[in-house]
Amino acid sequence: MVEDRSIGGRIFAAVNFTLLALIALVTVLPFIHVVAGSFTTSAEIAASKFVLIPKVWSFEAYKFIFSTDTIFKAMGVSIGVTLIGTLFSMFITALMAYGLSRRDLDGRNVVNFLVVFTMLFHGGMIPTFLVVKELGLIDSYAALILPSAISAFNMIILKNFFQNIPEGLEESAKIDGCNDFGILFRIVLPLSMPAIATISLFYAVTYWNTYMSAILYLDDSAKWPIQVLLRQIVVLASGMDHSATLDAAVPPPDQAIKMAVIVVATLPILMVYPFLQKHFAKGAMLGSMKG
Amino acid sequence: MQEVTAQASRVPELKPVSYKSSSELKKRLWRNKYLYVMLIPGVLFFVLFKYLPMYGLIISFQDYKPYQGITGSEWVGMEHFKRLFTEPDFLKILGNTLILFGMNIIFYFPVPIILALMLNELRGTFFKRFFQTLVYLPHFMSWVIVVSITYVMVTMDGGIINELLIYFGFEPINFLLNPGWFRPMYIIQIIWREAGWGTIIYLASIAAIDPGLYEAARMDGAGRLRQIWHITLPAIRSVIITLLILKIGSVLDLGFEHVYLMLNSMNREVAEIIDTYVYTAGLRQGQFSYSTAIGFFKSVIGLIMVMSVNKLSKKMGEEGVY
Amino acid sequence: MTKKSFTLLLSSLLTFSMLTAACGNNNGNNEAAATTDPGTSGGTNTATTEPAPEPEKPTEIKIMLPLNTAETPPDTIKAEVEKLTNTKLTYQFFPADTYEEKLNSSFATDSLPQVTYLKNQTTFIQMKESIKDGQFWEIGPYLPEFPNLNKLKPEILNNTKVEGKLYSLYIGRPLARQGIIYRKDWADKLGLKAPANLDELFAMAQAFTEKDPDGNGKKDTIGLVDRNELVYGAFKTVSSWFGTPNNWGEKDGQLAPEFTFPQYIDTMDFFKKLRDGGYMNKDFAATSKTDAVNMFVSGKAGLYIGGSMQDIDTLNKDLIKNFPDAVLDTHSMVAGPDGKFAQWMIPGYNNVVLFPKSAVKDEAELKKILAFFDKMMTPEVANLMYWGIEGKHYTVVDGKAKPADDKELIEREVKGYKDSVIGEYETNGMYQSLNVLPGRIHAEELVLENVKVGVADPTAALDSPTYTSKGVELQQIITDATYNYIYGQLDKAGFEKQVEAWKSRGGAAIIEEYNAVYKK
Repeated sequence: MVEDRSIGGRIFAAVNFTLLALIALVTVLPFIHVVAGSFTTSAEIAASKFVLIPKVWSFEAYKFIFSTDTIFKAMGVSIGVTLIGTLFSMFITALMAYGLSRRDLDGRNVVNFLVVFTMLFHGGMIPTFLVVKELGLIDSYAALILPSAISAFNMIILKNFFQNIPEGLEESAKIDGCNDFGILFRIVLPLSMPAIATISLFYAVTYWNTYMSAILYLDDSAKWPIQVLLRQIVVLASGMDHSATLDAAVPPPDQAIKMAVIVVATLPILMVYPFLQKHFAKGAMLGSMKG
Repeated sequence: MQEVTAQASRVPELKPVSYKSSSELKKRLWRNKYLYVMLIPGVLFFVLFKYLPMYGLIISFQDYKPYQGITGSEWVGMEHFKRLFTEPDFLKILGNTLILFGMNIIFYFPVPIILALMLNELRGTFFKRFFQTLVYLPHFMSWVIVVSITYVMVTMDGGIINELLIYFGFEPINFLLNPGWFRPMYIIQIIWREAGWGTIIYLASIAAIDPGLYEAARMDGAGRLRQIWHITLPAIRSVIITLLILKIGSVLDLGFEHVYLMLNSMNREVAEIIDTYVYTAGLRQGQFSYSTAIGFFKSVIGLIMVMSVNKLSKKMGEEGVY
Repeated sequence: MTKKSFTLLLSSLLTFSMLTAACGNNNGNNEAAATTDPGTSGGTNTATTEPAPEPEKPTEIKIMLPLNTAETPPDTIKAEVEKLTNTKLTYQFFPADTYEEKLNSSFATDSLPQVTYLKNQTTFIQMKESIKDGQFWEIGPYLPEFPNLNKLKPEILNNTKVEGKLYSLYIGRPLARQGIIYRKDWADKLGLKAPANLDELFAMAQAFTEKDPDGNGKKDTIGLVDRNELVYGAFKTVSSWFGTPNNWGEKDGQLAPEFTFPQYIDTMDFFKKLRDGGYMNKDFAATSKTDAVNMFVSGKAGLYIGGSMQDIDTLNKDLIKNFPDAVLDTHSMVAGPDGKFAQWMIPGYNNVVLFPKSAVKDEAELKKILAFFDKMMTPEVANLMYWGIEGKHYTVVDGKAKPADDKELIEREVKGYKDSVIGEYETNGMYQSLNVLPGRIHAEELVLENVKVGVADPTAALDSPTYTSKGVELQQIITDATYNYIYGQLDKAGFEKQVEAWKSRGGAAIIEEYNAVYKK
């Protein structure tokens, strides 16, 4: 964007920058606390409450969590499920969203309504479990992907983005002899990169956070994703689950280990966003339209 | 293929088509056959994993026992709904839920929009990306962590904020136990954790705006605020409305874990919401039917809300979600 | 129901979605994982390929249990147990936090394994209805056949009976481990002795707050640190010192809930006075266990009253890192206003094991599984599962187990199995722990002392349908009222109004139901 060099514009930019810097500081401080906490001892976490720079540096927590390959295995599962799941979900979501985005499609409103309906009414855990079981998906990674393959929310948002693409483009493509698949993959998708990046991120984060399906559908703990490990340690170490930690025979895990696991389990998914950011660049759409 | 193209060029696309004859409908269906093929995997998914399990809702009208199954459990009609509506605290719990929801819409919903606009106005790609990344971090902190950090900040027993208040000569505030503070705390936590994450979707729609529009506006001497008002906001309006409708549909879903962790005996009068009530009265006691019936009730309310808002938005010339 | 055609339909739909989905990779992964990891999936292969010279084939047993550690333990211990018991075990651990969900969905879909551990007493109460319905094997009649299982304590077995019949084996816990953990160094400095009665306890909390026990010249300490938990926090323990019955007590020959007794009110007054005086943490109604522990180990508080004095080891570990000179001790004999001692007791178990009929097909299979548990109750196997492998995870000193210094190794390999050991050291003959911390040694003595003045819950073995379906919800009313009273939001009349609300919403029925079965 061309810079606005007027006085008003400068004041605006300065105020805006300061405000955002403050907001960023507030959001990042607790995260620094977690990272700093992972590099110190639980005794120091207890004593200083809000650690920002460790007084005593300790790498014990990381030594502990990396001393076996459990966390690597779980990480591998999570990365695999996230990658395959996101690709698969994007594929079928885009197909459906594009179909429903076309205003000349008979019955689209009925389908749209039925999709919204599933956001409100759920059959519950047990009937869904039965479907997964009948499909023979128990103990397979597919059970982490298929039952949540499409998020109604994501589908509707993507449909909304597709609807905003000028219809004239599709028209001219049709005249050029493209069928609907061609239009979707050659014209609509390249024009919707910001939307595709956004929805991919949403899916990736959902898959990364997979917890309940893993517990319900995977009996073999060797297949559990990282979130199971993370949640288990966070809940145990926070003493917030009323029933599990009452039994004193089980002392809670070390606070520093809790922090270290949070750091390790969160870093990979945090890295996704910066990579997608370039697709949010301005004028992506216009550029491709001209080209 | 040729036939399809030929027809496509003949039929005017932009205005909604009205049925003149069944043959025209058939033609249109055939012309759009690939679109229907595209819907198949999605529809299959919704049928298999969403609609098939919905028979589970039947247990709201039963006295369901896991070992008897749906076929063997006793039918009780509207018994569970009667219990819910005659629960002495029912109105209070429903009220708490609606108030939290209202505050959510008023105080949280606009924040990601404003934040996205602010981020968009930043100069320089580096700062833009840097700040974006920082504000979206909190989304990855689980509520357990957010609530335990909150405790450390605001407790009367040496919490940082109360220490500061005392240092500056104010009275300490009982944030955690005073019922009056529960709602503000809830909203602040939501804003802290979700606002940055919520900007992503708006930033994506802002990215799709034609930069030429801004250039033209600047030629006309429009300042930054005017550009935001006349170009950016109208361009993301449809996303805002879609998100608002979907949000309103989830009126009674306020995040069980978050509220449950903030709930205590002293603030229960304002903090008990439907989801936490279901947990204590239903799930923890193995009352599957009662829990499902309450879920059913929530869904019906959500459906009514979505349908009304959607209708309203269509009246106002928007497309709505269906 | 035409289940077959349904399955057929579903699988054809699935095949289709698989085709469109291009999920082939994914399936490949599964198979690879299954073949490379014989320990966790299906023992049939190894069992058939193995040339078995022994006449008896190892019994295959699938076991489901809650996971109380960060990760599932490796097979180190399991492999040893299998050798000792001639079994082929499949342990399926599920996070304790969401164990109920797993339990319920497995139960409703007939997928429970042969051996199903519940999570705690609450899940056991929830299961009672299905137990009565005959979903699980009654094991009472078989126990005499198994010499070790037969040693299980009859009074505790009695607490786990459902309508007078035994369906489960129990995981034992000492009956009364609760008491005070306090800063002995502070008490010594201020010239205080361990509190002999409740007045002295109050005085100690007051002195710890006002007399600068840490000597830093600032009034920055408090007496007691408590948390958002009435039972396993300080409240219930103090209430039993006041002479309040354990959950239910007899009044005019009838059972009545504890909160209708005047001693309960006295206990609330005690805490109200502590809080009003600033002798305990102000936010205790919103303080989690971790936050309470943090306050204690950071030297802010001097008294910790909780569910177990054995916690002293964990508290001590972090405390001495922050304050190398700190000394902790335990104490539990606090006399009530009438000079008498009393300690509430748990029903003696922490969890139980059930044997679903859907998985255990016949009597022969059940007996084989019980035989496994019978062997588990030999010192050899019990030690292995509770303490680990001798020489690696622990050593024996003076006839007691001394855990190895590598705490992480124990945490990782042993802890997961620890909570599944049936019985207690008196019945299964496992080693007691060798304690070094004087406060912990003291605690172990006190645990035995506690039982001598122990008060049992008279309803532990009784059954009330209303309690089963509404107990948790009703208890909430009383818990809230108790906190509100302590915080001064409710007066005595207001509290009694809440007790009336408890009665009118179902409490009266519970009283009636308990009394009906109590007299029998």
